[in-house]
Amino acid sequence: MRFILVDEIIELVPGQRIKALKHISPLEDFFGDHFPGFPVVPGVLLTEMIAQASGKCLESEDRARGKPMLARIVEASFRDWMRPGETAVIFSEVKKSRPAFATLAGHIEIGSKKICTAELMFSFVPHENFAADLRDEVLEKFLARSRA
Amino acid sequence: MDKSERKTMSRAEALAWVAEIFQESAEMTPETPRENIAMWDSLGVLTLMAELDEKFDLVVSDQDMRAMTKVGDILSLLEKNGKLNS
Repeated sequence: MRFILVDEIIELVPGQRIKALKHISPLEDFFGDHFPGFPVVPGVLLTEMIAQASGKCLESEDRARGKPMLARIVEASFRDWMRPGETAVIFSEVKKSRPAFATLAGHIEIGSKKICTAELMFSFVPHENFAADLRDEVLEKFLARSRA
Repeated sequence: MDKSERKTMSRAEALAWVAEIFQESAEMTPETPRENIAMWDSLGVLTLMAELDEKFDLVVSDQDMRAMTKVGDILSLLEKNGKLNS
């Protein structure tokens, strides 16, 4: 399983807010276990969708803090299910952005219903700790489209 | 009066607040050393920085955070910035 939980960025104000999409295929393996007869996307993956979108929002900002990494799930609530074949609309907004950390508040909507909210804290890890050829294709694609 | 000026607490409240941040149930005093607080690790430092920022509008540098060695240092920071009731 690839661990890419953002398919496409729809709107982005670097370092401020992001709106993105993630479609979940009915063929995902985890539906076999979670749960037989009642397949729903695990809450940890919903939270990770918000985390990945949040990370892209921070990463897109031109600051030399390093790569944003999830440090803390301050709060997460799940109000409804995400089912096979649905598309999550992911929102996240930066609340505090400091040299050592950032906090963001995000949520996921399916249709017009808010199904998940999360408040997350990120720390920053120097870019040299990662593979030199590490790229974020989803973010690069959005930025290239914005420049065109 | 801005948001930060309204937020002050007593020393007892501050000790309870610090204990809550570090999820410590044992009694905490100003002399409690950092090494006795399991959750005063790298994430604990970030959490404390975020709470100081959120609750008191205090932006503390990494360097100042690293210099703290006991609970009393956090109280001193609050006191220095007028966040403790006399």
